[in-house]
Amino acid sequence: MESRVFRRAVLMGGMAGVLAGLLPAGKAWAEDLKMGLLVPGSVSEEGWNRIGYNALKGVQEQLGATISYVELQQNPASFEKAFYDYASQGYQVILGHGFEFQDAALSVAEDYPETWFLISSSDIHEGRVIGLHTDTSQPFYLMGVIAAKMGKKAGLVGGMEIPPIQQAFEGFKNGVRSVDPDFPISEAYIGNFTDTTAAKEAALSMIAQGADFVLPNASGATVGGYQGIAESGADVRTFSIFSDFTPVAPDNILGLYVADYAQGVVEVVRGIRDGAPPEANVVFGLKDEKVMQFTFREDGPVAVPDAIKAEVAEVAAQIAAGNIQTHSN
Amino acid sequence: MLDILTLGFLATLLGAAWRLATPLIFASIGEVISERAGVLNIGLEGTMLMGAFCGFAASFATGSIPLGLAAGIAAGMAFGLIFAFFTITVKANQIVVGAAINLLGLGLTAFLFRTYYVSTGRGVDIARPVRIPWLSDLPFFGEALFRQNLIVYSTVLVTVLAVILLYRSSFGLTLRAVGDHPKAVDVAGRSVAAYRYGAVLIGTGLAGLGGAFLTLGHSNQFVEGITSGRGFIALAVVVFARWSPVGAFFVSLLFGLFYALQLQLQAQPMLNIPYQAFQALPYLMTIVALIVVGGKSAAPRKLGTPYDER
Amino acid sequence: MTMTQIERDGRGAAAVPILRLVGRAVARAAVAVALPAAAVAIALACGAVLLALNGFDGADVVNVMILGVFQDFRSVTEILLKAVPLILIGAGLCVAFRCNMWNIGAEGQLYAGAVSATLIGISFEGLSPWLYVPAVLVAGALGGAIWGGIAGFLKVRFQASEIVTTIMLNYIALIGTSWLVTGPMRDARAAYPQSARLFREAWVPDLIAGTRLHIGILVAVALALVLYVFLYRSSAGYAVRVVGINPHAARYAGMNAGRNMMAAMCISGGMAGLAGAFEVAGVTHRLYQNISPGYGFEGIAVALLAGNNPLGAILSGGLFAVLRSGSELMQITSQVPQVLVSIIQGIVILSVVAFAAIRIWPRRRS
Repeated sequence: MESRVFRRAVLMGGMAGVLAGLLPAGKAWAEDLKMGLLVPGSVSEEGWNRIGYNALKGVQEQLGATISYVELQQNPASFEKAFYDYASQGYQVILGHGFEFQDAALSVAEDYPETWFLISSSDIHEGRVIGLHTDTSQPFYLMGVIAAKMGKKAGLVGGMEIPPIQQAFEGFKNGVRSVDPDFPISEAYIGNFTDTTAAKEAALSMIAQGADFVLPNASGATVGGYQGIAESGADVRTFSIFSDFTPVAPDNILGLYVADYAQGVVEVVRGIRDGAPPEANVVFGLKDEKVMQFTFREDGPVAVPDAIKAEVAEVAAQIAAGNIQTHSN
Repeated sequence: MLDILTLGFLATLLGAAWRLATPLIFASIGEVISERAGVLNIGLEGTMLMGAFCGFAASFATGSIPLGLAAGIAAGMAFGLIFAFFTITVKANQIVVGAAINLLGLGLTAFLFRTYYVSTGRGVDIARPVRIPWLSDLPFFGEALFRQNLIVYSTVLVTVLAVILLYRSSFGLTLRAVGDHPKAVDVAGRSVAAYRYGAVLIGTGLAGLGGAFLTLGHSNQFVEGITSGRGFIALAVVVFARWSPVGAFFVSLLFGLFYALQLQLQAQPMLNIPYQAFQALPYLMTIVALIVVGGKSAAPRKLGTPYDER
Repeated sequence: MTMTQIERDGRGAAAVPILRLVGRAVARAAVAVALPAAAVAIALACGAVLLALNGFDGADVVNVMILGVFQDFRSVTEILLKAVPLILIGAGLCVAFRCNMWNIGAEGQLYAGAVSATLIGISFEGLSPWLYVPAVLVAGALGGAIWGGIAGFLKVRFQASEIVTTIMLNYIALIGTSWLVTGPMRDARAAYPQSARLFREAWVPDLIAGTRLHIGILVAVALALVLYVFLYRSSAGYAVRVVGINPHAARYAGMNAGRNMMAAMCISGGMAGLAGAFEVAGVTHRLYQNISPGYGFEGIAVALLAGNNPLGAILSGGLFAVLRSGSELMQITSQVPQVLVSIIQGIVILSVVAFAAIRIWPRRRS
């Protein structure tokens, strides 16, 4: 409460207030780190927005920062205002969780040259606007390899047709083709991120058409896809992505891919705080073992045969070394 | 590419269509009853959300699906009571109150879900598919159509009950008269308001059940905005079905079929039609249906008009 | 209902001396403002109780949501920016609702306007801004007017319920926009599904340099005034209102009910389309799938709170913009879910209709 009153007092005087907001930012830098987060949807569901929220929590817990987030429901007109809100309140680091925040960050950065703007799944680097990209096509490439080696037909259920999802699916398809160029893959988008029912039916329909390796990737609606898989029996395989969905589909999940994006973000923010900010855009990949965790289930009723595991490990090493291109450009 | 012409494809499609139609069947039949009594409730979307959330919350707390379904129906009726009070007793405009109900339903469910369930990530058990002797063993169709859960099967029962209620009971006779000639009912010494309250409560109870199906009969989680516009589609179903419960059943199935077809055709890599074309189809068809059948011809005469005793 | 009352009052006032006339006008204005204000107060109180019951600070509703948003100059300009579409849509819907046309489709009409404005805005490079900006805005208004006019036509020609058709047209507009920005209108260079950027000459000029506030706020207020004059000071507007009260009587009086219904739908659609044009040409400068956070639906509440009076829509549009900004701020400062604003809006509407009923009841009884 006290800090809010103080802030309002400081900011009361219009543009003078903006200047005043910037001054303490330089002074109180080390002891009072403030980080804001913009997410394009609800953090209450497992999925993309939760990942951003966890990153924010990580910075709070490990660096002792004051944190705050705002959900913007994919409405571009409100992006700039949210950046302004944080920047004008003396937040030194603002994470825009999604490439869609890039344009707004660039325009606000002109007025707040001291503030750091981190943009998820973007490869921008302009001044203090820095893209942080988790290259999801890499783990999906590995899943594609596994699907092609263990199954007959693959199915992909996406939320909306946006780059992070398209890129992940592209990685999967490239992985499949590296094993068998003619392996059939079907792909469907439900057109939103909320309709779990549609995600489930999309998975069921693919399985009915012969798919035996199905991957849902639809943020909040993802869980519906795993339910469809679980109800179709143990012959259908899948991988748990971004969160642990094993309780939903215990008989089907071969392994787990989680991005500990939080750890990556914490390191970047730590660097900024300690005067060693990133000098280019940041790409997290299989090379960053702390960030990208790709594990097989050991205890489950289904397992990837050891021979395939070894091959996958070899492919993963090649990707980490930069010898395999998992997606175009 | 010609997978789409096989019998198996058809069977799967029909099974999916029935499941996707289930929430629409409940909500639209409820709305048929409500509109037959002259009350147009555009607050179905918010009412279904309440049903979905309260069904989830009750089942989460007790572990019981029947209790969850009951809570979903009760939540729908609670919203129905608010709606009925403002539209029937206060005689406020039905569209306006319906719009408020939608806002309340969306806001309340999201607010409460955020506040109490955010970090749990845990789901509830959902109703299991039930085999029906003989039918479930039919080749192809048994596999796809008769491996549903009891809630899906119960759509048939609800349709039959609605037909009996509307056309074979004296309550239904009076209820329909309330929608067409409320004055006559009033003169005959029966309370128009009481019948309208009854119709609204039945309607919103069914909408709540339709919402609860989403969380207890299909996916085991509540997601904000999980109804994804189904309450509005149900309104379209009612018009398309010309205010008939049997019609509402089949039109809902048709809309479910479109949705299922849309998902399946996308998965056919060779077909290059934008999926949005299929998504828009039900809405376009509703408009066409309105033009063809004529809007007013089948609608209850006093639809949307508060009854004034003077 | 409210309208008949105002007319009755007006007739009675015609004969009394000027002082009493002014006094009554002031009293009437006080009532017109006091009741919506009371409705808002009730809604905020309910919001505070809801917060307190769920472990938040109830006082935040006033401290943050209402007062907090006036913390600096930029915040005020951002509120005004949000008020632009709300005032435009709300004022337009007043005309439709006065004509008893239940246009639920302002959201779709906004999208139709945004799409047409974008089509013009990305097509003619090098045009003079003096020509280009008006062209884009007119295109948006036309797009919205056509989208609203379709529902009007279906109502007049086929008696198709405008409530159902406008809801359907909402979905078609949203899905169509999604198809356009992921398909034919997609900017090939951009990662995000979005159209190309509008040419700079097509951008709506800023009202205050250094902020995002553009001249749309002046246009919105001016048009609300124009619509007020149209509804209450012109014979055409009088016809629209008479058709709304009793289409049969209007027909006897020689008015063309169908034409007035069409006009009401086209005006409200055009205003929503204009709001869409201002969003793309004034704020985002591109077309996106989710260009509106539900302004079209919120506009219904704006018109209602204003008692279907375009002048009132200026105030209620501003108020809803404050609530929306405030709910965003509240999430930032206290992590209160932003959806609280929907609950408060819902309660505002219910309170307004309850008050309207209370005002009418005594007359009814007598």
